[in-house]
Amino acid sequence: MPEDELRVPMCRAEPMDARTKRENEYGTALDDTGLYQVSTMDAQMADRKPIIDAPPYYIVTLTYINYLILIILGHIHDFFGMRFQKRRHRDIVEFDGYAPWYSKFESFYVRRLKTRIDECFSRPTTGVPGRFITCVDRVSHNYNEWYSYPGTTTTCLNLSSYNYLGFAESEGACTSAALETVNKYGVNAGGPRSQIGTTELQVRTERMVADFVGKEDALVVSMGYSTNANFFNAFLDSRCLVISDELNHTSIRTGVRLSGAAVRTFKHGDMDLLEKLIREQIVLGQPKTNRPWKKILICVEGLYSMEGTLANLPRLVELKKKYKCYLFVDEAHSIGAMGPTGRGVCEVFGVDPKDIDILMGTFTKSFGAAGGYIACDKWIIDRLRLDMTTPNYSEPTPPPVLAQICASLQTIIGEINPGEGTERLQRIAFNSRYLRLGLQRLGFIVYGNADSPVIPMLLYCPSKMPAFSKMMLQRKIAVVVVAYPATPLIESRVRFCMSSSLTKEDIDYLLRHVSEVGDKLFLKLNSGKSSYDNSVQRWDIEEVIRRTPEDCKDNKYFIN
Amino acid sequence: MSERIIPTAIPIPAAIVRSSSAAWFYLNQGLNAVPGGHHVLNYIEKSSHDDPYRTAIEAGLILYGIYYYLSKPQRKRGLQANRPNLTEREKDALIDEWEPEPLVVPPVNDHETAERYWRLAKIPVVENGGIATYIDFTRNNRQESFEHVLNLASNNFLTLSQTEEVLDVARDTINNYGVGACGPAGFYGNQDVHYNCEYMLSDFFGTDACCLYGQDFAVASSVVPAFTKRGDVIVADDKVSLAVQNALQLARCTVYYFQHNNMESLDELLQQLNEQEKKEKLPAIPRKFIVTEGLFHNSGDIAPLPELVDLKNKYKYRLFVDETMSLGVLGATGRGLPEHFGLERASSIDITVGSMATAFGSSGGFVLGDKYMSNYQHIGSNAYCFSASLPGYTTTVVSKCLQIMDADNSQVKHLQELSRKMFYFFTSRVKLNEYFTLTSSEFSPVLHLELKEAVRAKRFGYTRDTLFAELHKLQGRKVSDVCIDPYEAEEMFLQQLVDDVLVSHNVLISRHTIVLKQETLPIVPSLRISCTAGMTEEELLGACENIATTLVQRCESA
Repeated sequence: MPEDELRVPMCRAEPMDARTKRENEYGTALDDTGLYQVSTMDAQMADRKPIIDAPPYYIVTLTYINYLILIILGHIHDFFGMRFQKRRHRDIVEFDGYAPWYSKFESFYVRRLKTRIDECFSRPTTGVPGRFITCVDRVSHNYNEWYSYPGTTTTCLNLSSYNYLGFAESEGACTSAALETVNKYGVNAGGPRSQIGTTELQVRTERMVADFVGKEDALVVSMGYSTNANFFNAFLDSRCLVISDELNHTSIRTGVRLSGAAVRTFKHGDMDLLEKLIREQIVLGQPKTNRPWKKILICVEGLYSMEGTLANLPRLVELKKKYKCYLFVDEAHSIGAMGPTGRGVCEVFGVDPKDIDILMGTFTKSFGAAGGYIACDKWIIDRLRLDMTTPNYSEPTPPPVLAQICASLQTIIGEINPGEGTERLQRIAFNSRYLRLGLQRLGFIVYGNADSPVIPMLLYCPSKMPAFSKMMLQRKIAVVVVAYPATPLIESRVRFCMSSSLTKEDIDYLLRHVSEVGDKLFLKLNSGKSSYDNSVQRWDIEEVIRRTPEDCKDNKYFIN
Repeated sequence: MSERIIPTAIPIPAAIVRSSSAAWFYLNQGLNAVPGGHHVLNYIEKSSHDDPYRTAIEAGLILYGIYYYLSKPQRKRGLQANRPNLTEREKDALIDEWEPEPLVVPPVNDHETAERYWRLAKIPVVENGGIATYIDFTRNNRQESFEHVLNLASNNFLTLSQTEEVLDVARDTINNYGVGACGPAGFYGNQDVHYNCEYMLSDFFGTDACCLYGQDFAVASSVVPAFTKRGDVIVADDKVSLAVQNALQLARCTVYYFQHNNMESLDELLQQLNEQEKKEKLPAIPRKFIVTEGLFHNSGDIAPLPELVDLKNKYKYRLFVDETMSLGVLGATGRGLPEHFGLERASSIDITVGSMATAFGSSGGFVLGDKYMSNYQHIGSNAYCFSASLPGYTTTVVSKCLQIMDADNSQVKHLQELSRKMFYFFTSRVKLNEYFTLTSSEFSPVLHLELKEAVRAKRFGYTRDTLFAELHKLQGRKVSDVCIDPYEAEEMFLQQLVDDVLVSHNVLISRHTIVLKQETLPIVPSLRISCTAGMTEEELLGACENIATTLVQRCESA
């Protein structure tokens, strides 16, 4: 194998005419069917607990057996491998007096289970991750041990990027803004915020973000993960308590761990348990000394990216006020993509953003940029600017990214191209609802809230992940499959990330193929428990495509 | 039957005999009904015949097992075991009574706010971007404004990314890839440009592989915890920067410190640890790392790599070097610390952490190392797998810069020339050296000026050690508002110096901005003067002359 075929080649797209390029990045809607205006959720809807559909027992058993076989085979593989193929297992055996980089045990899952399905992950791409994504072809060798790249590409329908509002574009207002700042500011900011890295653009962006989310002030950080991971140590210590939803993102956990605060978790979305926990913790106070906690911070995410569920904000605000706790809401996935005007979960529930102490979010998803923000009252932000590590030690957000944030934000609120922002929001709302209801009617088990742009569809058996991913790729659809440890062990799933850039026709195409693959892989396991009329759903695909676009605009089909 | 089970020789109360024989009777019946049950019966009969107490213990164990299984494990966990027995009324009262501290330390009144937040007012808000050699900026909410100021505060040392050649690449990438990558590396977020940037970086620095991260500050604190767990050992320099300190905090292993760049101290420590390890007779070798920095972020001096490599080979440690400030700066062609000492990177340093936001003038960070280490990060390193990929243009900018550096090292040479000139200029100023210590090396483009210990003790009444002791005490008490007055006074004094230089000579230098409450190692304030390859020697030395004069004047008058 020639050396250069082992590396991902640069695959510059062939030049194409402007219209095709535009269509590839953001599809034009043929008519108004594909629009849906979200309205604020009423209190009754908000407090409803989602009913989670469960697969039949034999599927659960099969899934466990599936894992059991994989684990047993893995151990056999390890046993013989480490004795007879020492060279190939250099990474897990001691060598020349050095411990291996990682132990056999802690890497077992990665080496023996994940490697088998590695082909579904980290697919190199090229070009704009818009309506279509161009995947660089690769050939797997020796069970995904290494790949070769023949240098060709495949263009797929993109259900994998967090491009909720379709701002990943190579032309248009955002891109022009980014290009302009390259001319004016260059591509680097020069140093930490507190020394040299603060620019007019940065100040303006923070102002706009604060206004958009409805807080007094905001602070922009250059990386979303780092926003959380280096946030909590600015104001929490080991005498503070963090009450965290069990499914919170790793960045929050890392940040809290760095701060040294005590952590208690509650079952995902269970507000009654949360209240019990808060009461118990206020009474008990700190461990050993039983002194009262200095402060209690409740950490939740607005939209959970693996489940598609929303935090129950009205209840959270009520609890936080009742017990004098502080509330932190991570809107990484919901900001921009949810709510009548894209202002995130607060708007979805009609909660006043002022009732939430800390609003955090990222620009990677809906805004097609990078980085994150923290929005609070001005006096809090002022203090955070002094005490947080990121503004004082790390690189600030580079100017082109700031420009992208500004321009996309202005588009959403209608300052640039009035009407475009609304259309984008209405399209993602429709697309999400259509796909969700369509999948449910076809008989799949789907998790999450009606308007969530993340649509997780359950696969269960680990072996079905590579099968589904590859079969979809053959049908020119790029999807993301997720497994343990991001999900519970048996609930492997595929996660469709919706985007405004897709048209209704794209979703028709998607539904047809998912339905076909679902039949082949036996994925239609819906028991009807979570559907509105409590009946088992196994609609014919033509029927789904004919009726769902209208039906999905009616809330009643999403209530169970 | 009961006589047979419980030997009469031992006196047992009749009630127990009766109840156990009843239990035995029903168990007998039950087990006989189950296929294979008679094996169990045989076992129990035989064992109790030989030793009835054994049966009792076994039964007890089984019962305890059932009890343990049914009890809620979460309630037992934690240190809050001493839960008081309170009635609901009492609980309500306690809950009602509880007053939390404010989220962050609140400003008391306007006057105090101004005093406490003077740092915010001193942050320059640059109009044309902080990387230009001459900048226009405002401060304190546009109340002060400055024009055409010489910028001696930028970390963009090589200024390569400002050239039209590189900007064209950035524009071209944005035109073809948009801005954001819209996904984490594992899910279609890594584009061909990211992969190729990784190849370029690893080829340029001579390692197997490379791994890109979204922000330089987050790299170390994600990589170190990925490769350490309880029982592993880290030996770290005691002047590492906060990024590395955070990494050590997050790594669950045992951390030891050796004296800053003191190889005897390190040798002694490693010797001790090795002996200790031999005594412990561990089942497997723990992972062991020496952690240090290339150019120290807090002081600007250089780690003695050859000695470190000798020691690491001698004691079988792996070497972790944070080269955020030194890549692109040290070595004849900017290949960093190993080139500076004439070593190969692949054979001397096991994990290199670098930044694309300093010398390469883009954004993001990266890790260089062998392929096993790199591959493992793809799944084991949190900041890599749980965060979105960098925007495409940042990677092509770096690739282009590397290409330019590979072909022509004149920028690097020019920068080193300037650094040296600047260093010798300041060391030669006798007056200045009465007040300030120069902690940086002559190769560092960032010059750190610390007040002399004696001057600090005389003027502000504290030393590095007393400050650390005080800080440590406050941190131990978990004080929310860490504010140490003498330290504040010195910081303000240094800012005054910065302002003087700015106002009288239109030159921007900066304080070394640190967040004292986050620091876990001894540190003192310093001034920071950084040169970039975009300047001419005359510009720089002229400014240095002015800076030196102003600093001396100010120190003498105050």
